[in-house]
Amino acid sequence: MTTVPDTDRLLARTLSACLALVGVLLLARGVDASNAAVGLGDASRDPLSVPRWLYVATGGATIGASALLASFVTDRRLVRRIHRWSVTTPDRATARRVGVAAGNALGLGLLALVVYRGFAGPQIPTVNLAVVFVFAGMRAGLTMFAYLVGNAWPALNPWRAVARRLPNGFVSYPVRVGRWPAVAGLLALVWMETTTGMTKRPELLASVVLAYSVLTVVGAVVVGVGPWFRNVDPVSVFFRFYGRVAPLSWDGGTLRLTLPGMRLVGDDDASEGDAAADGVAANGAVDGPSDVAFAVLLVWELTYSGFVTTERGATVVRALVDVGLPPLAVYGGLYLLGFAAFVGAYVLAARVSASRLQTHRRARELAVQFAPPLLVIAAGYHLAHYLAFFVSLTPSLAAVLAAPLSTPANPLVLTLPSWVSAANIVFVLGGHLLAIWVAHSTAYRLFPSRMQAIRSQYPFVVVMMGYTAASLWLISLPTSPPPFLP
Amino acid sequence: MENTTTEPTEPTEATRTTGETTNGGTCRVCGRTFPETRLLVLHRGVRHPSVLTDAEREAYREAYRAEEEEIRSFRLRALVVLVVLYFGFLFLYAGFAG
Repeated sequence: MTTVPDTDRLLARTLSACLALVGVLLLARGVDASNAAVGLGDASRDPLSVPRWLYVATGGATIGASALLASFVTDRRLVRRIHRWSVTTPDRATARRVGVAAGNALGLGLLALVVYRGFAGPQIPTVNLAVVFVFAGMRAGLTMFAYLVGNAWPALNPWRAVARRLPNGFVSYPVRVGRWPAVAGLLALVWMETTTGMTKRPELLASVVLAYSVLTVVGAVVVGVGPWFRNVDPVSVFFRFYGRVAPLSWDGGTLRLTLPGMRLVGDDDASEGDAAADGVAANGAVDGPSDVAFAVLLVWELTYSGFVTTERGATVVRALVDVGLPPLAVYGGLYLLGFAAFVGAYVLAARVSASRLQTHRRARELAVQFAPPLLVIAAGYHLAHYLAFFVSLTPSLAAVLAAPLSTPANPLVLTLPSWVSAANIVFVLGGHLLAIWVAHSTAYRLFPSRMQAIRSQYPFVVVMMGYTAASLWLISLPTSPPPFLP
Repeated sequence: MENTTTEPTEPTEATRTTGETTNGGTCRVCGRTFPETRLLVLHRGVRHPSVLTDAEREAYREAYRAEEEEIRSFRLRALVVLVVLYFGFLFLYAGFAG
């Protein structure tokens, strides 16, 4: 046994201390919340019959227990067989080309409709095609399709369809910038979605879509279509990351079916002298620090938008505004600090993992390798946050798409049965359980020793438990519109 | 544990070492370095099974068996934790959700 360096030991202690603190705070809040509910005698508004802290702790324990159970599986061949299982269709290159052409036309048509109806349609969010299509159709529906079935965005992407036909690629994209522009872009888009009220103002939404289109096409022409949509365009990166979770993918001209999430583990055909396949970029989904930040951001943006729309979130915001801070600064501060905390927890986990193991793999490499499970977690959260919203708005979506140029007279919104909120718990936990398995398979791919593979996951599992607890807590809280925002 | 190394200990260009001492040796096939010989032996067996010499294969079997012991004791401890978790939550639910 060699000694663990002092700094790393300190880091490990700090991590445990932070987690203990967060745990205590969460529990205190949970008790507080349940006491309030009991005190008000308002049992009908609180569907949980157990105290909230117990419900949250059960979620965390479920993740921990499943990680322990997964670690009982030490047969490398079984682990590898599961994530390598796949079925491919015969060559479908022609069908794919036709599909992409049709998708491009559809995407361009829908983009034109969104902009036109945004300006010319009724300025009522529930019947305006722009708002209903962008938020129910794209933000909820197409994203779900991306991780549940396969990523359809590259076929639809209207901006790519335009830029591809123009002369492009005048400046070479600086490689060391990585995908940071996409991280900044997604941060900006989610910020606008939360604070500018574009979910309620079709005209504003249409202007934003128009400005985004101009920016995207110009950018893609300047740096080239490939680099732009791979690294800069946040929408494309968003759909591609979610699409990695999906069972269906294109492999050249053939359609390939894998088990959900298993493409995140990546290939390691490194049995014979192939050092590269053993290296940093081997998982195919995440290959640099900017990708780690993007994956964490997918988890964080859902947590954040969940938080600000709860009564408790509103209370926190009001309290901070009462102190004298401007409301937008409060929202911005919570947004960026929370993101920094999520990234920090994850990076700390990677450092603790690297320092506690006997390995020459660095923390940075482990952070990259263990990031793909975050995408499954984000998919679980997304389903929990958006499925009910999507299903209830399906009739409106169908109505605006069936007659895009006229205003639906009587938009229908479905009311969902109460068991949907229980299903949300299942989605959050399901995402985490799949993430545990992805992390387990990844660990077996990385480490020669099986005990190392098991131990390397501990810090990441602890972070995942924290994310689960936070998310389960949020979806159990009563919601309210965020204060001070249009 | 074994401390003798049969492989060169200098980190090569192909490796991504952290600058630590590589007293476990370097894989002669892919150039990856390891802090312990045991890990190098396991790595060779897992990653490059078809280029092993007889001695290396025997060493891998030995290291694999040794680890099997460790895993058995780990499973026992994990089982204890699971049982404690299970009954802990059982009692918590009995106490709070009644």
